[in-house]
Amino acid sequence: MSNTEVLKPLKTWSHLASRRRKPSEYEIVSTNLHISTRPGAEPFELDPNVFINRWYKEKRDASPLKHPDWNAFRDPDELIYRTYNMMQDGAETYVMGLFDQFNEREHDKGLSPNWAGTLARLYTPGRYLFHTLQMCSAYLAQMSPASTISICAAFQGADSLRWLSHTAYRAKELSQTFPDKGFGANERKYWEEDAAWQGMRELMEKVLTAYDWGECFVALELVAKPAIEEAVLRKLGEAARHNGDTLLGLVIDAELADGVRHRRWASALVKLACDAPGNAEAIKGWIAKWEPLADRAIDSFCAALPDVADAAESAKQATRAFRRSLIGL
Amino acid sequence: MATLERMDWYDLARTTNWTPKYVTEDELFPPQMSGTFGIPLEKWESYDEPFKQSYPEYVKVQREKDAGAYSVKAALERSKMFENSDPGWKSVLKAHYGAIARQEYQASQAEARMARFGKAPGQRNMATLGMMDEIRHGQIQLFFPHEHVSKDRQFDWAHKAMDTNEWAAIAARHMFDDIFAARNATEIGLMLTFAFETGFTNMQFLGLAADAAEAGDWTFSSLISSIQTDESRHAQIGGPLIPILVANGKKEEAQKMIDVALWRSWKLFSVLTGPMMDYYTPLEHRKQSFKEFMQEWIVTQFERALLDLGLEKPWYWEQLLDEIDWQHHGMHLGVWFWRPTVWWDPAAGASPEERAWLEEKYPGWNDTWGQCWDVITKNVLDGNMAQTYPETLPVVCNMCQLPVNATPGNGWRVRDYPHEHNGRVYHFCSEGCKWVFQQDPARYEGHLSLVDRFLAGQIQPMDLGGALKYMNLAPGEIGDDAHKYAWAEGFRERMKKAS
Repeated sequence: MSNTEVLKPLKTWSHLASRRRKPSEYEIVSTNLHISTRPGAEPFELDPNVFINRWYKEKRDASPLKHPDWNAFRDPDELIYRTYNMMQDGAETYVMGLFDQFNEREHDKGLSPNWAGTLARLYTPGRYLFHTLQMCSAYLAQMSPASTISICAAFQGADSLRWLSHTAYRAKELSQTFPDKGFGANERKYWEEDAAWQGMRELMEKVLTAYDWGECFVALELVAKPAIEEAVLRKLGEAARHNGDTLLGLVIDAELADGVRHRRWASALVKLACDAPGNAEAIKGWIAKWEPLADRAIDSFCAALPDVADAAESAKQATRAFRRSLIGL
Repeated sequence: MATLERMDWYDLARTTNWTPKYVTEDELFPPQMSGTFGIPLEKWESYDEPFKQSYPEYVKVQREKDAGAYSVKAALERSKMFENSDPGWKSVLKAHYGAIARQEYQASQAEARMARFGKAPGQRNMATLGMMDEIRHGQIQLFFPHEHVSKDRQFDWAHKAMDTNEWAAIAARHMFDDIFAARNATEIGLMLTFAFETGFTNMQFLGLAADAAEAGDWTFSSLISSIQTDESRHAQIGGPLIPILVANGKKEEAQKMIDVALWRSWKLFSVLTGPMMDYYTPLEHRKQSFKEFMQEWIVTQFERALLDLGLEKPWYWEQLLDEIDWQHHGMHLGVWFWRPTVWWDPAAGASPEERAWLEEKYPGWNDTWGQCWDVITKNVLDGNMAQTYPETLPVVCNMCQLPVNATPGNGWRVRDYPHEHNGRVYHFCSEGCKWVFQQDPARYEGHLSLVDRFLAGQIQPMDLGGALKYMNLAPGEIGDDAHKYAWAEGFRERMKKAS
């Protein structure tokens, strides 16, 4: 071995060292972290045919969505754990401040009983819907082929828990002013039985079982989440403002800021994916498959929304505008 | 108060199970991903996590924790603490980061599996926070060692180790994949969070934090103490699953998961943490021996946690107690002897003073392990360095992937525990490792150990050079004695007198 070159210390990890640019903190701590994607190796260091090895080989490695270097993906926001908490602690301080101030002003007492009934039916059952986003994001986090993708999905899962938590909080608070509207008690019934929710429920139950990671990404990020954000968040927020529920409008705006960030990473991933042949077609195929279900979900939810003109049409147009904005498709 | 208390709304935030209609329950929660043992959805709803935290509390507390850990690092960055620290301590850091950092990140994937496939809503929420925690632990334990990559090529392995076929990396992957990355949501709860995290990470993180503080490494000490505060929350994900399993007639299954995970964790810690605590940490900074840490954290505390939840001590408890006395000494001897095959510089820890400490903590050490070190010491002092290196590969266990070894000397009792399955003979280091295999042979049967790969001709040329190439280890990063053999000098006078 005496003739062999002796390796010298590098300025960064060896896998980043060949590039000229000094790596950012984001790159140092987020890139190439998956252990289960080692070239030529089984996903997991066990029998090649154990169930979980087959699951990953089939649903991740053999996905129609293919790229020679998924590790090239970068989150356009370059969020890391440390900065995520800084950002969301600030965002939560703002929302908790809203809750505090509006409670101080007895905001809920100013809401009409009719609107309170709408909230019990169309707002607080949303925690079930947000929980499906939390679960589905967690699936993407464990199945994505690169850590930079998984981390975006994980943060999105935490954001979904955030939306869920706001909704649970308000359900409890509204129950104090409107004890007869079923707040904190009837959400599951509405979610499982009310026509307004069945489209969303069907959409998400099916998206949750789209186990191919590529299809899961497209169905969730490009179709289902835009539908939910445009209908269950934005259009409900418009109805809220019309009905004097300023608080809900502001809370939804805060949540939509997360949604905008989610669309940024999803757009960046579509752009990277479309560098490789066949992916644009695969993505378009999945959009065509899932769009009708999402449209029906928007239709059934918006049909129940009071005081928003053309809610369904405008929500559907907004989802299409997002998809049209995707570079590479 | 104009805002609600957490517990006013917390239960609503974890009331999220619904009955699927457009897909079946088994499609939504595939039994092999969920680990539901035929227990229906509603039975899991009694799950009650003991450590409760809401999303807004989480982001606030975690922001503050990070501010603390990163500011300690920043404040000490220009100090010469690292440069002045003992080479043995640097080896602790290198071995720890290489084996742990990306495995912590991988644990976020397992937490994500619980967040998606757990049937208990409280488990899914807690695992969502756990998924975030483990991203933290991966990221922060890459950021801290990255500071040292420009000083020492071995620190590259904080990131690189898990991409390689280095033997310790294979052993770590096999163990961690088996107890979490390749498990279902219920198994992850019991095996990763309950068995591994309440037992072993406590010891790794509190024990090493104590040694780090003693060694004056405040950066590392504050880092891993901070990590431990997260562990103490998400380690409690698994416990509440146990009463649900027990109430539904699955106690035996729960017990088995824990027994498998605990045994497998023990073996990895005997090669990783044992040598760090009893050999690499400078003598004057050792807070307790590895055995004492094991007795405190595993024997006493974990045993109590098990019994509290209505489970039993694992069947191999007496064997574990026995191994605590000696297994890691053999692992250390092996790591030091095969030192070119690791990404850190093992400290021999065999100076006269260190041997006196070992004899005190492990009576009989000099008559057993000491005899091997006598030979090594003589060869070092005589300049017969070739004699201090291996010429062959050790026999490694087909479960823990670690060398089969036991106490040398008069009580020499090393033995192989062979097992034939489907025409192939597997070799195990212990009854425990053989038992793990027998519980689920299909899970392990097609895996090749490093020695199996060698014999199958996958490693070429078939010598140390070929093995190092296969393990992705090159000069400049391969291990050597941490103190350049200075520890042997204390014996020179004695040797002269003896001759």
